[in-house]
Amino acid sequence: MRYLTTCLLGTALAAAVFTPALGQEKNVTIVLSEELDVVEPCMASRSNIGRVVLQNISETLTELDTGGGGLKPRLAASWEAIDGDTWRFKLQPGVKFTDGSEFDAEDVVYSLNRTISDKITCEIGAKYFGGMKLTTNVVDATTLEITSEPPQPILPLLMSTLTIVPTGTDPNAFVKTPIGTGPYIFSEWNAGQNIILTRNDNYWGKKPEVEKANYIFRTDMAVAAAMVAAGEADIVPSIAVQDATNPKTDFSYPNSETFFMRIDAQVAPLNDRRIREALNLAIDRAAFKGTILSKDVIEATQIVPPSTIGWNGDLKVWPFDLAKAKALVAEAKAAGVPVDKEIKIIGRTNNFPNGTEALEAMLAMLKETGLNVSLTMYEVKEWEDFYSQPYAEDRPAQLIQVQHDNAKGDPVFTAYFKYHTKGLQSVLKDPKVDNLIETATGAIGDERAKLWKEMFRVVYEDIIADIPMFHMVGYTRVSERLNFTPTIAANSELQLSQISFK
Amino acid sequence: MSQPQVRDDAPLPAERNAVAQVMAMLYRDKFALVAAFVLLVIVLCALVGPELVGDIAAKQNLRGRNAPPFSFSQGWSFILGADALGRPILPRIIVAARNTMLIAGASVAFAMFVGASLGLIAGYTSKITSQIIMRLADVIMSFPSLLLAVIVLYMLESSIFNLVLVLAITRIPIYLRTTRAEVLEIRERMFVQAARVMGASDKRIVLRHILPVVLPTLVTIATLDFAYIMLAESSLSFLGIGIQPPEVTWGLMVAQGRPYLANAWWLALFPGLAIVITTMSLTLLSGWMRTALDPVQRWRLEAGSKANG
Amino acid sequence: MMSFIGNRSLASAVSLIGLIILVFFLSRMTGDPTSLYLPLDASLESRENFRRLHGLNDPLLVQFGRYVLDLLRFDFGDSVRKARPALDVVLAAFPWTLMLAAIAMLLVTVSAIVIGSLAAFKVGGFFDRLSSILSLIGASAPDFWIAIVAIFFFSVSLGWLPTSGTGTVWHWILPISVLFIRPFGLILQVVRGSMIAALSSAYVKTARAKGVKDRAIIFVHALRNAMLPVITVIGDQAAGMLNGAVVVETIFGFPGVGKLMIDSILQRDFSVVLASIMITATAIFVMNLLIDLAYAALDPRIRM
Repeated sequence: MRYLTTCLLGTALAAAVFTPALGQEKNVTIVLSEELDVVEPCMASRSNIGRVVLQNISETLTELDTGGGGLKPRLAASWEAIDGDTWRFKLQPGVKFTDGSEFDAEDVVYSLNRTISDKITCEIGAKYFGGMKLTTNVVDATTLEITSEPPQPILPLLMSTLTIVPTGTDPNAFVKTPIGTGPYIFSEWNAGQNIILTRNDNYWGKKPEVEKANYIFRTDMAVAAAMVAAGEADIVPSIAVQDATNPKTDFSYPNSETFFMRIDAQVAPLNDRRIREALNLAIDRAAFKGTILSKDVIEATQIVPPSTIGWNGDLKVWPFDLAKAKALVAEAKAAGVPVDKEIKIIGRTNNFPNGTEALEAMLAMLKETGLNVSLTMYEVKEWEDFYSQPYAEDRPAQLIQVQHDNAKGDPVFTAYFKYHTKGLQSVLKDPKVDNLIETATGAIGDERAKLWKEMFRVVYEDIIADIPMFHMVGYTRVSERLNFTPTIAANSELQLSQISFK
Repeated sequence: MSQPQVRDDAPLPAERNAVAQVMAMLYRDKFALVAAFVLLVIVLCALVGPELVGDIAAKQNLRGRNAPPFSFSQGWSFILGADALGRPILPRIIVAARNTMLIAGASVAFAMFVGASLGLIAGYTSKITSQIIMRLADVIMSFPSLLLAVIVLYMLESSIFNLVLVLAITRIPIYLRTTRAEVLEIRERMFVQAARVMGASDKRIVLRHILPVVLPTLVTIATLDFAYIMLAESSLSFLGIGIQPPEVTWGLMVAQGRPYLANAWWLALFPGLAIVITTMSLTLLSGWMRTALDPVQRWRLEAGSKANG
Repeated sequence: MMSFIGNRSLASAVSLIGLIILVFFLSRMTGDPTSLYLPLDASLESRENFRRLHGLNDPLLVQFGRYVLDLLRFDFGDSVRKARPALDVVLAAFPWTLMLAAIAMLLVTVSAIVIGSLAAFKVGGFFDRLSSILSLIGASAPDFWIAIVAIFFFSVSLGWLPTSGTGTVWHWILPISVLFIRPFGLILQVVRGSMIAALSSAYVKTARAKGVKDRAIIFVHALRNAMLPVITVIGDQAAGMLNGAVVVETIFGFPGVGKLMIDSILQRDFSVVLASIMITATAIFVMNLLIDLAYAALDPRIRM
């Protein structure tokens, strides 16, 4: 077996082997938290797969500018709306895939069809291209028109998720060696151990500094952090806040996740607005900052980050007012609401670092109101059964822990699923909210932003559908020999071209 | 040569009463004495701990989280530091003793009882029954405990009883197989042959003659199993079976301390220490009991004897 | 003896079949992998498509029939998560666990037997007490604690060993040491207990009276008779290690079967779960057969 040969070799070079000469070459070692199951580009919307594949191997037509500048061109040099439901994209000329073939509009059509095909299940297709019918028109090798039904004002944004593969890529199965137009080539994959990317010297864009990237996998964050400290690795994209002890190597970044509790507004006593308000007032949010959670987390009023279009800045964070919460509970009790009925907090293990502690703290705070609250932690599948439709008819009153990620800059990826009557993770049945969501989805420009803001206001002030907690922050550890600053997209991608050496 | 005169009617020295004898033997083995004392303290904690210090143990203080140990600035209860939510660790360890002892004790007792019974049957009865029992044990050994836990959770509700059930089932094979192995050997021994010749029933032979010889080994395994279960139980709690916050066991405290090993080592160390100390005490005490109950070995603990005769 | 092996193999095959049926039906009661594989905001069509592609809509018995037919061609199905044949996934992971477990158990067996026997020889003496206490601490301490402390001490602070990974011989030292500690503690105590009983038996007294040297008494006369429970426990611990050296694999990044099993169970990747269970079950059945043969070899009086 391979590792036996490596063992023998290693014994001979024992002294030098585990202190690698990282400083000499332009290589980086990156520690990911989980092994990649597959390396298929149409699965790149999944965190760890995206960190290796997205924009390193496979590129997209457009790219979201995380500095707040909207959409940047990538494989598409420019785009414009032709009429209400059609967009025309002008593609970059002279781009080649790493297998030598030319990149043209046919490849975009092929990638799109493959991603929504029913012969394989692509996460990108499932997540972003469901519920719409797209027709393509290849005008010439570098011009492509896409028509959508119903009209998609955010089609260019959707194209920032679609990874482009060469025409002819296996339509019936996932690829084992992804081929793309990006600055890196997929060189090696030792299942369970590491993945190696090497620089593509024929890349159409600016040549990046990193020559070789070695991705390894360690589930334990403390060990991964220790590897950087010991000089065995360079970057750990995600470490816990308590491991981020070295200001020279550890950086925090807003990671587009929002932590909130979904209130099951259909079941007593949570179906009474006073109780929902009391729950929000009973939480001392400030106590979490700098203790259980990073001091950089931001109190939330909505479940999308502030950089999203339509984020309503007028909504005020719930104050901590235990007395008022108790009064509201008493008032509800007097009105006949069954306040003694058990309210179950449904937690999810390993949701985020210190997640269980956060829930325990919330449990203690909510108990102070006199409500009968309990906490149970569940593994992912069970939690998912509680969180998604169909819901059990005779279910108990539940507060469900959720961490929701929306880095795409538009609430459309959140609102339908979480608040529409037919949304898979929604417990609301409010026609006003449904109407707002539907009209906002088809609107453009300022009108769109205005409608989304109103929707969030209704959900937050009129209905009180959730207990919004925080916009979360992640921590990255970067070796001192590198220059790399994580952005809000760091959860889903790690562009090697953004790394430079000191 | 003259023989000393031994008269048949000379009075024998008076026997000390049983309790005094036990105490004397315990005193001979200092380690076992300390172990017995420690276990007494732990049992006391389990019996009255939650009532006495339950409130102190549950009080959260987010700003005082991960407070380091060995400082009296906040009172005696913080002598071992505070956990990730600011709760004092020493009272929490005391309160957790009850759940821990209950779950671990019940699981080990159940597994040992069922495992030993099946092992006795498998070692002593016909080939076919024996084969069926042993293959059943093989199947249980191959069934992952996590899968069993997830299945139990889906089919039955989440309760302490189901937690004990899952833990016990996964440990049955070791008691079963060890018992059977010893029975296979013991039943060929002379005293068993003698009992059989004298007409003793199978049941009498197994329970009265064979079981006492097997028991010491089982107890040795059980005391170390105790530690294993205390730690294994916490991983099941993460699935939603068994102990949920704010209830706590030592195993859960240890698991919760895992992310903080690098900067707040006391969170996992002290409950872990509680587990280690309990295990050591149980082992030392059971070793002492093994010697005390074995007529062949008892001389080591009796007054006037030197080690190794 | 051949008929014994033949009978046992037949019985084991029957139990293997029973295990497969049990696991197949019970595990599928815990839900299907669709909602775990696809993101929460995946469209309904894609979920339906996924179910259709993986045959999850068919009635359970039909799925079972298909599974059995594939099994006869040694096709364990495809991993839903990894889009590769389940057997390949398991066979890629198994050698790591096997190597770790085999080396660790070998070291445990040799050292526990030697030290346990010496401890039993002078019961209550300094060596006995010390070895007992040290081994008990190791056996009851949490394994992740030992692993992480060892990493921080030997790798980060002292720099003697690598933190984790599988590259060279040096990478194996810490994981095997951590795996070694708990079974060592348990087996040491079992050996010690059995040896104390064996050393005070009549035949040992006879041997001593005949003037046989101490070393021969321990290792030739007493040990053979004390070994029955010892090898049973060794077998049990080895089986336990095959099923779950999870903590070590997780912390040190060894892509073994323990971690694979846990992930597959939580992700409801049934084909991998079944393939994995079958491989480890076969290994366990074979091991138990060898242990039974060992009983007969060690003690000629035994008949089974």
